[in-house]
Amino acid sequence: MSGLFQEAIFVSLLAATIRIATPLLLSAMGELVTQRAGIWNVGVEGTMLTGAFMAYIAYAVTGDHLTAFALAVLAAMVLGAITAFLSVTLRVDHFITGLGINLLASGLTLFWFRSFVKGKAQPTFDSIGTVPVPYLSDIPVVGPVLFDQRLLTYAAFALVPVVWAFLYRTRTGLELRALGENPAALDTMGLNVAIRQYAATIFGSAMTGLGGAFLMLGFSDRFVPELSAGRGWLVVVALIAGNWHPLRVTFAVLAFSFLESLATHSQAIGAAVPYQLLLALPYVISIAIIVMAKGKSRQPAALGESYARS
Amino acid sequence: MRIKLEQRHASSLLWQGMSYGLAILAGFAATAVLLKLSSADVSTAFAALLRGAFGSQRAVLRTLVDATPLILTGLAALVVFRARIWSIGQEGQVYAGAMGAYWVASSLPDAPLFVVGPLAMAGAILGGATMSGIAAVLRNRYEVNEIFSTVMLNYIVVYLLSWLLSGGPWTEAGTTVAYHQTPLLAQSAWLPQLSGPLHAGLLIAIAAAISVHLLLERTSAGYDMRALGANQTALRFMGMDVPRIVLVTMLLSGALAGLAGGVELLGVQHRLKADYLFGLGYGGIIVAMVGGLRPAGTVAVAILFGGLSSGAVDMRIQSGVPDSLIQAMQGTILLFVLCGTALARYRLTWSSAK
Amino acid sequence: MTVALQASGLSKRYGDVVALDDVSLEIHAGEIHCLFGENGAGKSTLSGCLYGYVQPDSGELAIDVKPVKLRSPAEALRFGIGMIHQHFKLVGRLSVIENVLVGAGGRGLFLDTKTARRRLAELCSDYGVELSPDAIVEELPVGLQQWVEIIKVLFLGVRILILDEPTAVLTPQESDRLMAALERMRDAGMAIVLISHKLREVMRSDRVTVLRAGKLVASLRTAETSPEELSVLMVGRKVSPSYDHNREAPGEIVLDLNDVYVNGERGHRVLDGLSIQVRSHEIVGLAGVAGNGQRELFETIMRVRPLEAGRISIDGKDVTASSTRDVIDLGVGHIPDDRYLQGLIGSFTIADNIVLGRHHDCAFRKGPFLDRKAISSFATDRMSEYRVAARDSAARVDRLSGGNAQKVILARELQRSTSLLLANQPTRGLDVGVIDYVYRQLLAKKSEGFGILLASEELDDLMTLCDRIAVIHRGKIVGVVEPAATTPQHLGLMMAGQAIPGGDARAH
Repeated sequence: MSGLFQEAIFVSLLAATIRIATPLLLSAMGELVTQRAGIWNVGVEGTMLTGAFMAYIAYAVTGDHLTAFALAVLAAMVLGAITAFLSVTLRVDHFITGLGINLLASGLTLFWFRSFVKGKAQPTFDSIGTVPVPYLSDIPVVGPVLFDQRLLTYAAFALVPVVWAFLYRTRTGLELRALGENPAALDTMGLNVAIRQYAATIFGSAMTGLGGAFLMLGFSDRFVPELSAGRGWLVVVALIAGNWHPLRVTFAVLAFSFLESLATHSQAIGAAVPYQLLLALPYVISIAIIVMAKGKSRQPAALGESYARS
Repeated sequence: MRIKLEQRHASSLLWQGMSYGLAILAGFAATAVLLKLSSADVSTAFAALLRGAFGSQRAVLRTLVDATPLILTGLAALVVFRARIWSIGQEGQVYAGAMGAYWVASSLPDAPLFVVGPLAMAGAILGGATMSGIAAVLRNRYEVNEIFSTVMLNYIVVYLLSWLLSGGPWTEAGTTVAYHQTPLLAQSAWLPQLSGPLHAGLLIAIAAAISVHLLLERTSAGYDMRALGANQTALRFMGMDVPRIVLVTMLLSGALAGLAGGVELLGVQHRLKADYLFGLGYGGIIVAMVGGLRPAGTVAVAILFGGLSSGAVDMRIQSGVPDSLIQAMQGTILLFVLCGTALARYRLTWSSAK
Repeated sequence: MTVALQASGLSKRYGDVVALDDVSLEIHAGEIHCLFGENGAGKSTLSGCLYGYVQPDSGELAIDVKPVKLRSPAEALRFGIGMIHQHFKLVGRLSVIENVLVGAGGRGLFLDTKTARRRLAELCSDYGVELSPDAIVEELPVGLQQWVEIIKVLFLGVRILILDEPTAVLTPQESDRLMAALERMRDAGMAIVLISHKLREVMRSDRVTVLRAGKLVASLRTAETSPEELSVLMVGRKVSPSYDHNREAPGEIVLDLNDVYVNGERGHRVLDGLSIQVRSHEIVGLAGVAGNGQRELFETIMRVRPLEAGRISIDGKDVTASSTRDVIDLGVGHIPDDRYLQGLIGSFTIADNIVLGRHHDCAFRKGPFLDRKAISSFATDRMSEYRVAARDSAARVDRLSGGNAQKVILARELQRSTSLLLANQPTRGLDVGVIDYVYRQLLAKKSEGFGILLASEELDDLMTLCDRIAVIHRGKIVGVVEPAATTPQHLGLMMAGQAIPGGDARAH
């Protein structure tokens, strides 16, 4: 194999890692805010799927990327509001709520998809194009990997310091962090717990919906049922692996993305392992990560507990 | 005017019962809206759905065939949820159960039914229980939350099966790889028919439902499981071996889900294909929740949902509505049940702000 | 003197329980006003109403003689009313300054830590508290955490400060310092509402309002009353617990902990080389400020918590490596401090709770099936023996009153234990009659020959009941004393960690 070819694969592998990381990162930063506020949304998978599907439908009908993204985010926010209503207002177990959201999303998207394509040929479309950063994208290896990506990819990575600053430097961020640890601390100071938890949940879902839309429009040429294929769950695991800290969560997301990129490049690399088994690798690794993360957890103390004034 | 939710001091049993019924009705109403949105004729679609589900003897038999695996996966979900173990691995356990049964049945192509049948069912149980057993050990030994381990195992099993059926050792020879399925099993391994399409698997499912009921309500092992769900800390302080109870409960749940896979393989499909098994596990979770986590309720809801999925075929043929409507409907009903049962714990009060 | 806060005709019901019944009172600026009464007398409900945390069913509030309605703590804070809750409302993982900033208001998107640090330093020096703004709250001693709570509220510039049982977790010395600080706030013109059931603190207030069963019994100037009068007003009749106290010679050692080290959930030491012994025919009291390892000690003896080092034996048998089941089988009974968390299964029936842990015994089983008949007749007998008031043994335990729930635990634990009883705060939250019942049961077990380890926050109870009192501080026994040879003040010093020369946990 020529050195040039090897370099091309290497660049492609890393560029794909960054691309694959984008939807995960968008969602992870959103859900990080949600979880720091004490809401344990496990409906991420269904929300991401809904975002992807809405983007598909909206784009297929209007042909406009912006509309597609906007509708995907809107639909995800509706799911976020339902999640918040169930787990904050009705105080249903957060896990059950998320499970309900996942099953609802999976059923609704499947039905709507089938009704939509009924009898017609599946519309396929080109994914959104990359926006190379002038000059920077010309740097060998680093350029095509980091600076020849889609706009939303840049935005996703820019979101990491923004979320960090929000959580650790702003008044609202402090309140949300306190909320995840001890909601009574806010309630007794006269701060509304429910409104903040609603906002955090809806924000997280919006970002997850955005991630889902990118999943659809960023690198798929058509919709398939269960397009999200467990990525929402990987986001939840990335939060555990990253110990609820923006930077570490980003590393966890990049690690998962690299593994997936590796699986899709396995034939080009010449790996002898069947690609299905490589695709299963992120899930195996994520179990291993949770095993190793044991005991060092900084999980928000009130995560997953619905607050009731006693 | 302000609307407030107030916790009821004693939860009303009537309200709770009614909330399930109302939730199912609301699910149907929401489905009607869905149909309207997809510009189908609501009454034609519902009529076809109902006729296909319960309209004739043959329809009822088909309904029961579809209900059989749902009863088993519903029981699988019920057992763990009653113990407040949040395992959602039923989907993967169904696949693993079918794989276990297929492995046994395909290794004994010449054996008579009374040999291969029980052995294949044992293989199914072993397959499902292995999956849930892994999750139980991960929880007991390494404190891995079972939600994550079971979800991850679900995906792992799906990829494993995908490899086995396309490129792996079970790929049907002579056809193109694209079928993603195994060859048909020898007829000697098929479950006996009771009447028309109805096979002996239903008897297994009903027996399982009765056993689960007796286990939970009447035995000391069932007391352990319910107590685990109600207050794990107290159980630990009473010197009960909590990890053991978790393991037993999860093995039982995995066995039931695995059995669903085995029954579906040997009773209906007679060949292994991922599409045939898709959604049985998640459907079981909904069935158990909508059935109020009680065996009788689970059986009733499984039959209702079985009717929906067998009626959906008629609906598609007669009104062109995709049969995936059923999944959407189940998801909607589940959400309404969650709202309804939660609301039954509260009282709505209206107070005018002065 | 100006009236800062006036309440008239406040009433509040929870279901069938009348928590507050037509209570009116006036809080003056420049006064420490004490709300005095037993557990459940309505003190916390009343203070909740004054803080907008509880909505009264009827009645009015007036601040500075202007009628107001407090719909939330936010409105109370806006009127300058602040509250320190009985259970801390702090965020343990955040730093002191972050806790102060939560809810501190201010303008702008970003946190203004610089100004906040300056104000925090000012407040700390005003009251002579040493608080590092960057210390993580959960790592501070409880006494300092209390100060974080107080400074958090002072930070908002409140004029009326309500404190709900603020000294429950403090040593007597820390309590004195707090009272002195409150007096300074009073002298600066603030109105202080102090909720307490400790006479010592009440007597330092300017005015005292006594509540009993939700009703206002009396409102008096403290200088014109006496502890005796107040305690009569509180309980409505004169009670002085007196128990038959046959101090027999203790027998064999039934519980022996030797140099036990235990770590908590986050890896920090909770028991730090603790040694203690309990003999038969003996009640050993465990005194200490809450959170010094009491709960962990009981959990360790029950073998629910792993040991880092040390040795535990019960009845002469080494149980260091044993399971909880083994300990129970040795005849140990355990009355936990959190009865609904550790002792009962709320959604189960009384009968199921009474056989909890023994439901696999042959006596309650027929093959794999539970013998319902045997269980309910056994439970019915225990219920009458231990005077559990309920419809029948099929009633759900979470529908019982605290006292009856505790009796269900007694029925189970006293019935099956044979040599050792572990009682952690067995009277917490119970009314006088049940407290008396619980103590008489413990004394009866003692004369049967049991060894008993009894932890309680009520020092007076320990003084009357125990043969010896061991004082725990930061996971260590800092001294063992005989009730006759000590005073509450002396115990207080030990609870604050001052080791007493010659104090030793071993039996003499």
